[in-house]
Amino acid sequence: MSAAALDSLATIEKSPGYWSGVMRRFRRDPVAMLALAIILGLVLMAIFAPWIAPNDPYRGQMLRRLRPMGTPGFPLGTDELGRDMLTRLIYGARLSLLMGVTPVIIAFFIGSAIGIAAGYVGGWLNTVLMRTVDVFFAFPSVLLAIALSGALGAGIFNGLLSLTIVFVPPIARIAESVTTAVRKIEYVEAARASGASSFTIVRVHVLGNVIGPIFVYATGLISVSLILASGLSFLGLGVKPPEPEWGLMLNTLRNAIYVQPWVAALPGAMIFITSISFNLLSDGLRSAMDLKA
Amino acid sequence: MNASAPIPRPPKPLLTVTGLTKHFALKGGLFGQSRGVVRAVDDISFEVGEGETLGIVGESGCGKSTTARLLVDLISPDSGDIQLGGKLVGSELPIRELRRQVQMVFQDSYASLNPRLTMEDAISFGPMVNGMARNAAVRLAHDLLARVGLEPRRFAGRYPHELSGGQRQRVNIARALAFSPKVVVLDEAVSALDKSVEAQVLNLLTDLKAELGLTYVFISHDLNVVRYMSDRVMVMYLGQVAEVGPVDAIYGAPAHPYSRALLAAMPSMDPDRRTMEAPLAGDPPNPINPPPGCRFHTRCRFADAVCSMSDPGLYTMGTPGHLAACHLHIPASGHKAAELAA
Amino acid sequence: MSAPLVEIEDLKVRFHGARTVHAVNGVSFRLDAGETLGILGESGSGKSVTLKTLLRLLPENRTEIGGRVRVDGVDILALKGKALADHRGGTASMIFQDPMLALDPVYTIGDQIAEAVMRHEGASAAEGRARALDMLTRVRIPSPERRLNAYPHEMSGGMRQRAMIALALACRPKLLLADEPTTALDATVQIQILLLLRELQREFGMGMIFVTHDIGVATEVSDRIAVMYAGEIVETGTVRDLIRDPRHPYTKGLLAANLHGAVKGSRLQAIPGAPPALEEPPRACSFAPRCPVKVSGCDTQRPPAITPGAGRMVRCVLAEAALQPG
Repeated sequence: MSAAALDSLATIEKSPGYWSGVMRRFRRDPVAMLALAIILGLVLMAIFAPWIAPNDPYRGQMLRRLRPMGTPGFPLGTDELGRDMLTRLIYGARLSLLMGVTPVIIAFFIGSAIGIAAGYVGGWLNTVLMRTVDVFFAFPSVLLAIALSGALGAGIFNGLLSLTIVFVPPIARIAESVTTAVRKIEYVEAARASGASSFTIVRVHVLGNVIGPIFVYATGLISVSLILASGLSFLGLGVKPPEPEWGLMLNTLRNAIYVQPWVAALPGAMIFITSISFNLLSDGLRSAMDLKA
Repeated sequence: MNASAPIPRPPKPLLTVTGLTKHFALKGGLFGQSRGVVRAVDDISFEVGEGETLGIVGESGCGKSTTARLLVDLISPDSGDIQLGGKLVGSELPIRELRRQVQMVFQDSYASLNPRLTMEDAISFGPMVNGMARNAAVRLAHDLLARVGLEPRRFAGRYPHELSGGQRQRVNIARALAFSPKVVVLDEAVSALDKSVEAQVLNLLTDLKAELGLTYVFISHDLNVVRYMSDRVMVMYLGQVAEVGPVDAIYGAPAHPYSRALLAAMPSMDPDRRTMEAPLAGDPPNPINPPPGCRFHTRCRFADAVCSMSDPGLYTMGTPGHLAACHLHIPASGHKAAELAA
Repeated sequence: MSAPLVEIEDLKVRFHGARTVHAVNGVSFRLDAGETLGILGESGSGKSVTLKTLLRLLPENRTEIGGRVRVDGVDILALKGKALADHRGGTASMIFQDPMLALDPVYTIGDQIAEAVMRHEGASAAEGRARALDMLTRVRIPSPERRLNAYPHEMSGGMRQRAMIALALACRPKLLLADEPTTALDATVQIQILLLLRELQREFGMGMIFVTHDIGVATEVSDRIAVMYAGEIVETGTVRDLIRDPRHPYTKGLLAANLHGAVKGSRLQAIPGAPPALEEPPRACSFAPRCPVKVSGCDTQRPPAITPGAGRMVRCVLAEAALQPG
């Protein structure tokens, strides 16, 4: 071993890693940063709901039903049972984010595992896994979610489960196509020529190069999941009253649309803001991860 | 040519390839039924002597890249044997050992390197997979970087996109050397580089070969580069060997009409003697369902009736070790011109 | 002396984006009608950018072009709308490395050529069709009648290249721009296409600018060669002058790196280092950091354009010294 090589160990110039480059580019993207700020705000709002909210989310008074925005003590008005809208919207972030984000996170792990296995191993395993996934693709995601929830029965857990099942196939599909593409690149061939095991190759050479694109795609699904979760609640298949959840609130306020249209539209606005923020975050991540940009 | 060198010392064969064949089925249709067979490599045999450079030339579809991948076992042959140092790969020599002793450098320097790994990690990956401790592997990586002309201090922590094409190809060479291989297969390894950078890498390859006693299989479409690098040259056409022999015999007295055409197709470097006539018409045919007999007969100006009927097989020419697969040069082959010569 | 077909004076092209790239830095040359100029250079030398400027093919919104570019007396940089469309494919036309860039995959070859003729010359469908057949015959496509109805993907690589040439020449352009049209081809096909281009250029009497990185290819087709490095022309001259008597150290290095006649076992005279990144406009000789015969001053001053003979130019202080005996 040469002395020069030993010396160099101490004074190596390290390039910033890939992820720090991604972070640097991401921080320069004002739209993505705004989206991230909104999402963080929503998360903090959900966590600290009991401290922030001015009122009790469950207690209503029939005497002050459907007050307009700007009512003293109820800045965003009250709902059809006279509960404070602001409070319920703040508390609603808890269930809505839980229902929107959790299924995508779980599906991200399951779908990635299926897709990477199918993509790297190829052959019969690919055929079996991907054709099974295709069966789920035959149904529109809304119908699939409704059918599964309907079969499992209403409730938060069953809602989460059915949404997870809905999101595994699309994530597996993306994971499979990205992995298949990476598997054919020469550096994976070179790793195979070095005698590395499949597991090592996937861990070192495949995972790092496919997880980014899959992650970006999954963040884009969060908005879909939020809307589907709200839809399930709206149909009475997800969260049950009197829990505050935006989709459910939209449902129960439906009849008030002619009386207090602005108040009735508030949960929808929250769903809209949250889902578009996740979409913009996903777009920002996508461009920040692009090495050639 | 170095005049003082003894004329062709037959080197001890290090790599012996016998009857190597690889066909790819073309799948199509709803149920993946076969629609034809690509005869990528069809019953080829050759030897690579210890310490020599065998150049392989040919056009797209001739099977030179498939041959390279077969040599490092990235794909497995349908039939045929590879012997390394006299040991039959698969039975006497484990595949794992073949992969260690025969390494490959690819054409695309960027695709050959994992974009998420630093150069140090890229090079040390192989040795670590084969049981070397991390510290030792990293030290080896630094040594190899220095050896291929990249200062470890500056380059060990870099990512592929921060390097130029020439620098990346040096890293790929270093990675191949991490196994102390006996044979390095260079598949168009300098073809994507700019000419001025290509010369630097060729010099490096020459130095490494001398220092480490390497044996090269040098695949390229650039006949000038192959001539400069190789001791012997093998010309391939549609999955078969058309001609093989010492570099001076192939370039000085090519026997196969295809080798002659290939050489004549090189752009002239003399403005007063430009090429006036293309040596061949049309494109190289598809290796799917190649023509019967001599595969070149459809484009050959000397083709005779016998050429479309029987495969000539390799036949020894005047110079020792110079073989060509052409009925023209086989006495009593049935080819008119051959009869006249005989 | 008649007006040249192409006249470029002090062309400067820079791209703005995440970082600014000074791709072309003061290129000037002329091309007479019926003449072939080979532009020789490595990747990033600005040779393709120069060529694309002649058809205004560079992305408008992030490209800054300076200098004068005239083709057949027309100021190319001022062209707009219909006049630009008439210029592209009418006066000047281009062939590429990848024919799929020029050919539309959903139309037959015959339809594409006929359409181009009808658009540029106002010809009838029958005339367009007749011209298409004529062009396919001229580019020596076997059984041209049948090939009229072929789609690009149904043809082999060399055949597609011929079809693209037929399309480019259908409207009898005065200027043909060739951007590495043979680089992706096999050796035996490349020489066929080179010979075809040489013949067609003579037959149609067009001017041709042929961009390539391969000295042999440039030698086969060109009357004159311009060597580009880092967005500048470092040397021009006739093919003979340039191949037999290169004056610029970069040209000499390129010739040596071609390995034509390199002696096996001898060390190659490789040019060390790599071309500059061009994030700044050149203030000195761009080749100085890699130059084996660099003298003091090369790092600080831009070298003068020396004219050692008729039709020759070398951008190197040593060429100047050689001209002044003593």
